[in-house]
Amino acid sequence: MSLVDVLNVTKEYANGEETIRPLDGVSLSIEEGDYVSLMGASGSGKSTLLNLIAGIDQATSGEINVAGTEITKLSRGKLADWRAAHIGYVFQTHNLIPVLTAYENVELPLLLLPMSAAERRKRVEIAMEAVDLTSRASHYPRQMSGGQEQRVGIARAIVANPTVVVADEPTGSLDDETTEQILQLLSRVNDELGMTLLMVTHDADAGKRAKRQIRLERGRLMENGKETTSAHLRTA
Amino acid sequence: MLGSKLLPWDYGVRNLFRRPSRSALTFGGLTIVVLLVLVVVGFIRGLEKSLSATGNPNVVLVYSLSSAADIENSSIPGSTASLLAASVDGVRQGHGVEYISPELYLGTRITTQSLEEPGMGLVRGVTTSAPLVRDRVQIVEGSWPQAGEVLVGRLAHSKLGARDEDLAVGSEIKFDGRTWKVSGRFTAAGSAFESEVWAPLADLQTTLKRQDLSLVAVGMESPQQVADIDMFCRERVDLELKAVAESAYYAALQKHYKPVRMLGWVVVALVAGSGIFAGLNTMYGAVVGRVRELATLQAMGYRRRAILLTLVQEATLLACAAALVACVLGLLLVDGAAVRFTMGAFMLRVDSVGIAVACTVAALLGVVGAIPPAAKAMRLPVVEAIKAI
Repeated sequence: MSLVDVLNVTKEYANGEETIRPLDGVSLSIEEGDYVSLMGASGSGKSTLLNLIAGIDQATSGEINVAGTEITKLSRGKLADWRAAHIGYVFQTHNLIPVLTAYENVELPLLLLPMSAAERRKRVEIAMEAVDLTSRASHYPRQMSGGQEQRVGIARAIVANPTVVVADEPTGSLDDETTEQILQLLSRVNDELGMTLLMVTHDADAGKRAKRQIRLERGRLMENGKETTSAHLRTA
Repeated sequence: MLGSKLLPWDYGVRNLFRRPSRSALTFGGLTIVVLLVLVVVGFIRGLEKSLSATGNPNVVLVYSLSSAADIENSSIPGSTASLLAASVDGVRQGHGVEYISPELYLGTRITTQSLEEPGMGLVRGVTTSAPLVRDRVQIVEGSWPQAGEVLVGRLAHSKLGARDEDLAVGSEIKFDGRTWKVSGRFTAAGSAFESEVWAPLADLQTTLKRQDLSLVAVGMESPQQVADIDMFCRERVDLELKAVAESAYYAALQKHYKPVRMLGWVVVALVAGSGIFAGLNTMYGAVVGRVRELATLQAMGYRRRAILLTLVQEATLLACAAALVACVLGLLLVDGAAVRFTMGAFMLRVDSVGIAVACTVAALLGVVGAIPPAAKAMRLPVVEAIKAI
């Protein structure tokens, strides 16, 4: 079994009387240590798939297994606990908590996990160092640039050592120079920390930084010109 | 495990300072609401205290059968006091003096130095036995009145609508065509006597050209002996007297003021209700601007109830801080303020009950004001809220 297995997942939602189906029976496997970029046109369903894997959205049908847990069957409360332990989320607009310092923002996910204050401090310091923002630990988001805010966002996503780090257009609101810094940082997160990374982007150049590039076209996932299948389906 | 999954306390506290002007306005509004609650509860408590402190179960009031419950309209023979002393057993005695106080009680217009128009005051003609029967009365300044002098209660000026200085020892007041000099001031443990003016009985009778009395107050050895006086009144039908324990008399008056007290509690509920709307308005504003942030916390793994609790904590903190300030203001400005009413005057009381009611109202304002907007924000799907502007 792969680290992430998406099996025949469909997502539908109503838009007035019309039913929209951004994902139509897609399947995908992501192995531990993968760095996958998910590309596609606007509205193609790439963020929807990422949100399903991150456990913040519910599939209409199909199955999603992450690290042996079938998350499509978890209750809302259990899913929240599962996210805290397994998912690190990097947002396009950073989404830092404005009243908390960089340090406190990074510490926030750890407060959900059973660990001592000393262990928390150690982990936050390591994460802050990984994004090279130790000197900005006591700064509030309003005192930082967009690039620095996104680095804090990445530190927050990796601090709990999650099973999968998901990034939804992480460079979407940044200039070219900062985009390059953030992409390098994400590559380091994958290469040096060995974290599994799933990145949604509309930027083809950014997508090429990933080890695997997958496109969403008309509700179907395509990799190297072929429709993807899950490891489950391949072995069946 | 719930404790370890709550958002940091600091998060809620700091959010209060995120929009300082909004928080300050809400804080001001909540303070006023809680202060108003304190004033109304203080009014109810003061009224209750005044009436309950006035009645002594060992004291019997003997007055005219035809005056219903209004002692002011009562007229009984001047000899009633001596008749009672001679006929009833169980009257309390001290140093050879029987605790029987013949009294003339009337409402009359009183002029003081600062009053342009005379104020309606309560005058009681008394003898030296009055303080024996009304044992809570204490002269706190000056001396017992001689002919042409009066002793004034500490709230008598409030009843008249005059300044406190107008009834200072040595000052002069006018009523019933005569000038009276204030010889002293007294307290009576918060009872209705404190709003009265006491004059020597004989002097007052001469001034009013009356020989009758309004009532005779009799101090008994025990409450059980009240029945002896009642029996005397029933036997001497020719005197047309009625005997009522003083505590029962004022308890009946308390019932008379029940609608006022009920109205007070209704006002408390209405004021608290308006405060809840103010709190709701603030929290809706605070939550609408933080939809994305709250969704981010959910995406991170914080449960809805933990976020809800934080929002409630924010509103409750603000409301409790407002309650604290309101209680301090209440103790400084409201407690002890005198209020006039038909029976005299009483003091608004900010006591433990008032503070407990105010704090409960504040806590309700926080909790009830925060839950609906917080629940509304939580209902929004995370994937939509996470990209909200």
